Amino acid sequence: MLTGPGVTTSPTGPDPVISMSGVTRRFNGITAVSDLSLQVQPGTILGLIGPSGSGKTTTIRMLTGTLEPTEGDIRVGGQDPRHFTRGMRERIAYMPQLFSLYTDLTAAENVGFVAALYGISWFGRGAKIRRALEMVDLWEARNRRAGDLSGGMQRRLDLACAIVHEPDILFVDEPTAGIDPMLRQAIWDELRHMRDDGRTLLVTTQYVGEAEYCDAVALLAEGELVALDTPEAMRHRVFGGEVLEIETDATVTPELITNVAEVQSVRQTAPRTLIAVVDDAGTATPRLMETITGAGIGVISLEEYQPSFDEVFAELVKGRRAERGEVDDAA
Amino acid sequence: MLREVWHSLVRVTSFIGKELREVIRRPGVLASLVLGPFFIMLLFGIGYTGARSPFRTEIVVPQGSQLPRDQEFYEDLAPGRIEVVGISDSQDATENRLRGQQIDLMVVAPENAAAQLREGNQTEILVAWNQVDPVYDGLAHLAVATMVAELNAEIIRQAAAEGITLAEGELGPQVTDISPEVVAKPTTAVTENVAPSDPTVTNFFAPAVLALVLQHLGVTLTALSMVRERLSGQMDLFRVAPVNSMEVLVGKYVAYGLLTLLVGGIVGALMVFVLNVPIFSGYVIAIGIVLLLAFASLGVGLLISLVADSERQAVQLSMLVLLASVFFSGFVLPVQDFIGAVQYVAYALPVTHGIATLQEAMLRGEVRSLWMIGALAAIGVALYLLSLVRLRRILRSAS
Repeated sequence: MLTGPGVTTSPTGPDPVISMSGVTRRFNGITAVSDLSLQVQPGTILGLIGPSGSGKTTTIRMLTGTLEPTEGDIRVGGQDPRHFTRGMRERIAYMPQLFSLYTDLTAAENVGFVAALYGISWFGRGAKIRRALEMVDLWEARNRRAGDLSGGMQRRLDLACAIVHEPDILFVDEPTAGIDPMLRQAIWDELRHMRDDGRTLLVTTQYVGEAEYCDAVALLAEGELVALDTPEAMRHRVFGGEVLEIETDATVTPELITNVAEVQSVRQTAPRTLIAVVDDAGTATPRLMETITGAGIGVISLEEYQPSFDEVFAELVKGRRAERGEVDDAA
Repeated sequence: MLREVWHSLVRVTSFIGKELREVIRRPGVLASLVLGPFFIMLLFGIGYTGARSPFRTEIVVPQGSQLPRDQEFYEDLAPGRIEVVGISDSQDATENRLRGQQIDLMVVAPENAAAQLREGNQTEILVAWNQVDPVYDGLAHLAVATMVAELNAEIIRQAAAEGITLAEGELGPQVTDISPEVVAKPTTAVTENVAPSDPTVTNFFAPAVLALVLQHLGVTLTALSMVRERLSGQMDLFRVAPVNSMEVLVGKYVAYGLLTLLVGGIVGALMVFVLNVPIFSGYVIAIGIVLLLAFASLGVGLLISLVADSERQAVQLSMLVLLASVFFSGFVLPVQDFIGAVQYVAYALPVTHGIATLQEAMLRGEVRSLWMIGALAAIGVALYLLSLVRLRRILRSAS
């Protein structure tokens, strides 16, 4: 389905909606994005994740045609973004990173203005404005000036403007930046609803934990693609298998289970807690139970452990630096 | 095709509505940038009379001079231009008062001008003033020339009267057919201004103020509109959306054109119905000139907004255009008074053509400088095309 380091391209999958091949962008000799290749299938969310300055916004701007790549080939809906036709432009939406609406206009007027830019006439525009504002829970605030809205409401208004013309492809740049966790959840719910409606989304975020909401994740660091995969596969790849957390009623050492056939590695996180990486959790669980209880130690819990994506990405970046022979500052 | 045209119309109207709402909701900007200069110009129009204060003049009439010593006689030599504040017989004392700026002008009358004339000699009349203002310096020259001409006539009249008295004694009374006044002033001017309107300050400056207000309004409003969008990221929305540079420009031209014409209409109505400024050409020609001037002025503003790097720079450039307009447009000083190269600068300003053609249309009833109408239209079209090219480049520039 996806291409990138360690990702296999499915030969039978549908044509990708978004595709980048060997894309590089330099600003005055400084490389912002380097040799980036990825594909996004229709009806999915690709999360472009990375710290500030990793090249996320540069990538999204190249995909929307607002920035030219220095090298490489980009296709969105089969077209080069630099030469989008009007028809293609009507199918896409772009929500910029910064609030870019008109502070002197009301929320409804802002959405109406963007709707008109997409050729939606006065007849029927009202219903679309209402639908877009209701989707982001701003209908009650429709008559408030955009400049009087809170930061979170302004981000939602940006999103309402982006979706008012019901686009097929959305490029959403940092929709949750600076927004409280509850609202972030609501925005992701909305993005996933749009995905469920068959739309394709490319969303950037610097909140690594939001990778959970994506169908696929591209991790960027210093302008380079560190990893590209589904969130689960990425987790699996980092830890080399499935991860189990074992809590016992007495002190236990890793050596106790090291020799169990399915176990790849074990580490101790507390005197009575072990983290084991196994090939398959289903077959490993009964063998581990048997080994531990056979040693006269009771098992309080043995369940699959979900490492956070912060850990996953930290491991990925660490691995990349090790590959390059760079010193890890955190070490 | 029809669908495209319809969508294009929708996009243009979206800009019209958006721009109008933004202006209406920023009354502070409208007040400070537009109404502020307008009120200053209005105050100038109401308060400026065009009349210069007469020069405070002291006449030095030496003891032996036969010239009169009453103030009225000398004031009549240059009516309205001098105010005789005293007659003195001491040149030194008067000169001290001149240097101390207690008086503006000192005139030293000749001691015996008539006798000198009879002897075939020219007499010097010393006139001195103490001015650093070049305008007043020029006016002093003019007042002196008038006064000396009148004084010469008086001297000739005195000499002629003496001559006639002598001739009557020798030849008889028939020589008195020619009066000394006719000898001194053989011609007098009968004046008539054939212009169709009275040359009052209000009449003359009203069309100029209207033109300047229209240009300033058009330039200032539009100068700010695009620069905000360029700096706050809205251009990225336009780049991605199916909107082209022509739709953006037309929307802005129409919106700000409506606002400019609304204010222009109010100012024009005040001039015609309150200040009774005539429109001899009729409304159609005057409105046509106003439309062309608004079109060209909006182009200046849009070009500023497309090249300025910040709102502050846009305001500064707008103010520079205003400053250049006040100096070079013919609003204060005639364009013809400048050297050739500077006249080109003057004619590059829409308001120069606006002032001249509006004054001709309103005060004379016809526009003789038709080339100026063409120039105004050409400036408007050129600025529109320049703005279009620049905006297209900005929207395409994915640099």
